[in-house]
Amino acid sequence: MNSWYFSHLVLIQSTFISFLLALSIQVPLRAGVFSFAGVGSYAIGAYAAAILTIRAQVAPVLAIGAGILVAAVAGWLLALLVARLSGLYLGMATISFALFLGVLATNGGELTGGATGLYGAISTLTTTHVVVVSVLVALLLAASERGAYGRRVDAVREDPHLAVSLGIDVTRVRRRVFVVSGALGACAGGMNSLLRTTVSPETVGFHLVVTALTMIIVGGALSWAGAAIGAVVFTWLPSVLQFVGEWQLVVYGVVVAAAAVWVPGGLLGLVQDRWHRWQVRRRRIPAEGATAPVADVPADAEQQLAALGGPAAEARP
Amino acid sequence: MTALSGRPAGPAPGTGAAVLQGSDVAVHYGGIRAVDGVDLTLETGRILGVLGPNGSGKSTLLAALTRLVPLTRGRLTLDGEDYGRTPPSRLAHRGIARTFQTVRLLPDLTVLGNIQLGADLRLGRGARLRELVRRTVPEAVQEAVERTGVGDLLDLRPGELSYGTARRVEIARALAGRPRVLMLDEPTAGMNQPERLEVAGLLRRLRDEGLTQLLVEHDVSMMVDTCDRLLAMNQGRPIAEGPPRDVVRDAAVQEAYLGKRGHRAGDR
Repeated sequence: MNSWYFSHLVLIQSTFISFLLALSIQVPLRAGVFSFAGVGSYAIGAYAAAILTIRAQVAPVLAIGAGILVAAVAGWLLALLVARLSGLYLGMATISFALFLGVLATNGGELTGGATGLYGAISTLTTTHVVVVSVLVALLLAASERGAYGRRVDAVREDPHLAVSLGIDVTRVRRRVFVVSGALGACAGGMNSLLRTTVSPETVGFHLVVTALTMIIVGGALSWAGAAIGAVVFTWLPSVLQFVGEWQLVVYGVVVAAAAVWVPGGLLGLVQDRWHRWQVRRRRIPAEGATAPVADVPADAEQQLAALGGPAAEARP
Repeated sequence: MTALSGRPAGPAPGTGAAVLQGSDVAVHYGGIRAVDGVDLTLETGRILGVLGPNGSGKSTLLAALTRLVPLTRGRLTLDGEDYGRTPPSRLAHRGIARTFQTVRLLPDLTVLGNIQLGADLRLGRGARLRELVRRTVPEAVQEAVERTGVGDLLDLRPGELSYGTARRVEIARALAGRPRVLMLDEPTAGMNQPERLEVAGLLRRLRDEGLTQLLVEHDVSMMVDTCDRLLAMNQGRPIAEGPPRDVVRDAAVQEAYLGKRGHRAGDR
């Protein structure tokens, strides 16, 4: 066990870092916010921790904490800036935030070490710390998915107009989501820098968007557990797939495509669906049959307005 | 707006005090006057019905009253206080609940979860934290479930419900917040006749308990039986307002809404 642990230490650490990074994308997605700002925050956290550790020799908790604070504030400001964007446009805007930070890191001169990055961020951060932080984050997010907290986020994602009519301040929920996503991303980035003792523009690049998104598509986007499943699968898959050699990326692509097509809720969604069906059958509640109008529902003002190309009276998501 | 008069059977329940008023309400989209110059008053414990053909602006009026669309013109008051600039999400906290014209239940929540969503705004932080540990169902939710008769379906998901039942769940969700004013956009669309009668009965009982309501419906006979007053609209404009039987006999209403079918105002 012990020798296995030490020979796989890097993978074990990566699993937890990837988990936190994936969460920084999963948390906004659960609220229906298509934001990749978490990857930009990862860069903020990674550089903040490395710079503070190398130049000021501060304790890891402060170095990482400072990055989290900066990224959370950046997230809040970004939320104000992109308040009117949604969907694909929001995705693009937040990806460019991540790319912008990469460019900033490359051209940061001595402060960021330019294209070669920074080395020698040696600290007292251990794997145990990383595990403890990950578990705490998972517990908090699990709580946020339960009860009234969870229902309200579900409403914001599925039907913002309905959420508003139920008294939920959708704008505020979205702003909070940006802040939490920023904090999670920075936490992952900061811990990664200190575990690896190094950071460079390459390690905070666009590939992180792909990695995180892949994890939550396959794992499931609607829960922290989906991010956990995705992080485990995609951190360990390469070592399992070593025998296919250079075909690895192809297998990767097929897995993601298959998940997107056949299990849109991810592996977690699949399990939850089965669980619900089993419960319903166990309690013998007769399903009522498909939702279908008995009589035709008349078209009304909004639909006609929408058909005319005007703004829909009650914009439907 | 005048006080209620001429309700056919017995003394009208409620006090008749104005709760919510809209005056000269207008919503224009470019050249389209979706709603244009509507005056209305919702009185405590009474049902105002809004009647009109498709595209007459009923739903837009409802969206305007619930602040989901901005007013082009006009004034909205709740208890005499202007709420024309209140954020829409605050209205629910002030006791205004609504249902939508189409079924809008969250697919991933159970029926119970969907109904609880309506009551969540009344939960304090303490109650929310307690719910994380122990599954509790507020009294208001249990009451809403009983009133709408969906108690056997609480563990199902919306996709497993019939259309009529899904609509009843939506009414339950609106009731779970214990609103003072309930606005219903075609609550019986897609229901069969017995279901319609059941819903109409429920709305009347709620009215008798003092719940102020605004009802948008197509079913003229149901509107006449259920509402205390009717407001008829055509092309965004009010064309008649008053006691239900008078409004459906109004020549302009017959022309606009019922076509030239003569005096069969009670028919669909």
